[in-house]
Amino acid sequence: MCGIAGVLFKNSDLNAKLGETLIEMLDGCQHRGPDSTGFALYGGEAETSEFVLRFYVGEGDEGAQNVDRVKRALVEFEAEILDGERVGSTYRAVVRYEGDVQKFAYAMEHAAKLFSIGSTLDIVKDIGGAHDVDDIYDIHSANGSHGLGHVRLATESDVKPEAAHPFWATGFSDVAIVHNGQITNYFKMRRLLEQRDYEFHTDNDSELIAVYLADKLKHGETLKQALETSIVDLDGTFSFLVSTKDEMGFAKDRLAAKPMVLYENDDLIAIASEEVSLNRLFPGHALDTTEPPPGTCATWSR
Amino acid sequence: MVTVDLSELPVREANDLIRKAGANGEDVDVLNPDARHHIGVGLADPITVRIHGSAGYFCAGLTDGPRFEVESNVGWGLADNMYTGSVVVGGNASAIPAVAIRGAEVVVKGNMGSRAGQVMKEGTLLCGKNANFMAGYMMYGGRIIILGDSGERVGEDMTGGEIFVAGKIQSLGSAAMQSDMSGAEDDDVRAFLDKYEISFKGSFSKIVNEGGNLRYGTAEPRRRAIPFFTFSGKSDYWNEKVQEDIYVKSKIGRYRIRGYGGARALPHLNDIAFKKDLSNAGTDPDVVSKVNMHTLVGGRHGAKPLDLSMPVMIAPMSFGALSKSTKLAMAKAAAMVGISENTGEGGMMDEQREAADQLIFQMLSGRLGWNIHDMQRADGLEIYISQGAKPGFGGQLMAKKVTEEIARIRGIPHGIDLRSPSRHPDILGADDLVIKIEELREATGYRIPVSVKLGAGRVRDDIKIAVKDGFDFIELDGMQGSTGAAGNEVLDYCGIPTIAAMQEAEEALAEIGRRQDVDIILMGGIKDGIDTVKSLALGADAIGMGTSALIAAGCIACMQCHVGTCVVGIATQDPEHEQRYNIDIEAQNAARFFESVRWQIAALTHALGYEDVRDLSRDDLVALTPEAAAITKLPYAPEYMAGEHQIQETVNIQRSGSHLQ
Repeated sequence: MCGIAGVLFKNSDLNAKLGETLIEMLDGCQHRGPDSTGFALYGGEAETSEFVLRFYVGEGDEGAQNVDRVKRALVEFEAEILDGERVGSTYRAVVRYEGDVQKFAYAMEHAAKLFSIGSTLDIVKDIGGAHDVDDIYDIHSANGSHGLGHVRLATESDVKPEAAHPFWATGFSDVAIVHNGQITNYFKMRRLLEQRDYEFHTDNDSELIAVYLADKLKHGETLKQALETSIVDLDGTFSFLVSTKDEMGFAKDRLAAKPMVLYENDDLIAIASEEVSLNRLFPGHALDTTEPPPGTCATWSR
Repeated sequence: MVTVDLSELPVREANDLIRKAGANGEDVDVLNPDARHHIGVGLADPITVRIHGSAGYFCAGLTDGPRFEVESNVGWGLADNMYTGSVVVGGNASAIPAVAIRGAEVVVKGNMGSRAGQVMKEGTLLCGKNANFMAGYMMYGGRIIILGDSGERVGEDMTGGEIFVAGKIQSLGSAAMQSDMSGAEDDDVRAFLDKYEISFKGSFSKIVNEGGNLRYGTAEPRRRAIPFFTFSGKSDYWNEKVQEDIYVKSKIGRYRIRGYGGARALPHLNDIAFKKDLSNAGTDPDVVSKVNMHTLVGGRHGAKPLDLSMPVMIAPMSFGALSKSTKLAMAKAAAMVGISENTGEGGMMDEQREAADQLIFQMLSGRLGWNIHDMQRADGLEIYISQGAKPGFGGQLMAKKVTEEIARIRGIPHGIDLRSPSRHPDILGADDLVIKIEELREATGYRIPVSVKLGAGRVRDDIKIAVKDGFDFIELDGMQGSTGAAGNEVLDYCGIPTIAAMQEAEEALAEIGRRQDVDIILMGGIKDGIDTVKSLALGADAIGMGTSALIAAGCIACMQCHVGTCVVGIATQDPEHEQRYNIDIEAQNAARFFESVRWQIAALTHALGYEDVRDLSRDDLVALTPEAAAITKLPYAPEYMAGEHQIQETVNIQRSGSHLQ
């Protein structure tokens, strides 16, 4: 129930515009989801043992207590805290950690609601529009190679930051997803993945897609292969965008029930629910956009 | 010539200017469209609108007469429901171009997205390059010309019309087949290409409906009339109705179809009682003047609300399922008692519009009879998602009732067993729905309330979506609701009961703190003023009555509505049968019934100690059965059973001393 957007820059000259680009694209389709807005930003160079963790901690004293709990959990898990700051309702920690990321991630999830773990990924999401979120989190100065965005129309649950998108693949670093549609075999697929000992921290079908794809990647499939099987395995109506450290891709259901438009030039690939988002990047210009056919997917990398 | 620059104006203001230019006969140039939605929506004058750049969703939607030229691409739903006029798109069109057109000429020079021409009735859609998945999906008429490849499953479930493909036919949809193209058809297609200056020398293949899927095969044998209550939960298990059902299925080999309401005993409003001794109810002869029943519906977001003399509406029922005479009787009765009438599926009639003071115009998935002119003269618009009698299913109208007149109004082939699509072409999620609602508002200048009709299924989620999307009111229809035709099992086993629907709706609205933002109209087996007062106390802002209004106006409840041979002239299109129906007398009968409802509402509300129906609340109610208590979370108090019987008696007896003189 939303609008989605994604962009990948083909060369690093444009990296400084990542935040600004996504803000514009999301503001352009805010009518699809006025309740909350989120960004999955891929920036910086990946250092193998350094991770950014973004927690939802809430406001005020409760937030402070949650931050303490997060810090204790990090120390307990022998993660060295290199940097940490509270922004909005979140706590962003930069840590050095050497062990199994999945176990680490699950343990941290139990300390506080974790938005993302990544060596390059940072998920920022909160209630309000794209500009509201930017005002708090300074999205426009974000620098990076690619990113995803999402505007949410809260229909099933309350308007709250932790229900905002994008979702990360719980337990897997640097995998993020934005999704428009509905997976109808959600519980069947979730049971299947839970039998493989994956944990789910929401009832949201976007989290399911992310974990489903991350599981395929873990077993050596390429992102393209994982997307191809997702079109067969997932039932329902969907257009989703997924990103990893160095790739971005989309998949579209076999009925093409949810919209998605793509534009590519020498500098970038931009994908969004509606052309109006793409037009924001080139005001006054008619774009040569394409609409991917039903049941298709594609990936791009730098 | 008028120039509209969308980098300076919001679309709503731009559309006002475009319509004004239309009224003055001036052409319009639209600059900087930047793929914005709803450009030109609602325009009904033959001017030319040039759009420099790309347009978004529903460009040229809900129009009649104009000529649009779009330089670049368009989003979903190009020329939605366009009657006459034309659209030429220089680039590509996204999904469902020419959806539900009724005569327009739509030319897309580039590629088309999926489901092009879905439920189109008449007119031409031309695609200069390749079409996509399911072009011609459920089309009823008109033609699609594709100069490139067809896409997969072309002509899926098409009923009528023709698809001409010059490129490769990737695969045929179910119910579609290739056929020979006549010389005249070829000439026509080329004349159309010439008209739009498209040079093309190749040849075409023609795709049409394969003919096997338009009528049910074997007709249901009719054995004998068994009263509907025979197969309620209280009769024997292998009763004669069950036997008949098995017998009929052994002849036809498929599900049965019937009309009327569900016949299973389900928890309902009669399992709820008032928590007060109401034995003096109705003793005051002047009670109607002592209770405020005046109700406004749908005005919470700035539209002009429906103005009801009491919290009652006539439920949506179509001309098609019902005879024209019956619809006119309903319209007249509604006007006499100061409540609203509803067109149901299948369009608005002039006489109906004239007779009803307040008329809601319903839009269904097949867009049968839907058009800009009738929208603009409606008092309310309603997006039908589903109905209580058959949630998740489209309407059914058996061939016997699909007369030439009805086929013409709806834009479908005459004499088919009409099965309306179960979902809308352009509503596939809450996000698309937002854009659809806005299209309806743009087309009608934000004057008219827009409502949604929901069959009770996943009420909790559906209500939240409806409120989020900004509907002005919601018609919530429980599974005790009736219908003109539905699968027998669907009628009796799909959905949730009316009281459960109301309860879920209230809980959902409380969860999101939005109760004050929407009006809920409860429907589904509400039979009189007593049920009405209970519904209002459970939380409804108003109620809708269909079956009881029909019974008041002559229906004998034989449950054969679908057959088309209704002996009293209600559920029929047979002129001989309809002749038996006296519109004015039946309108009077229905009006008298509604006055009795008014009197009952007043008598009960007053006896409960209130002077305004809005003071009724759950505190006035108890549940008489454990099931009703579990559903409504009202206190379980079977000891009130006796009082309930008494009310039914007093209030019903008192009413016979009618104050309608």
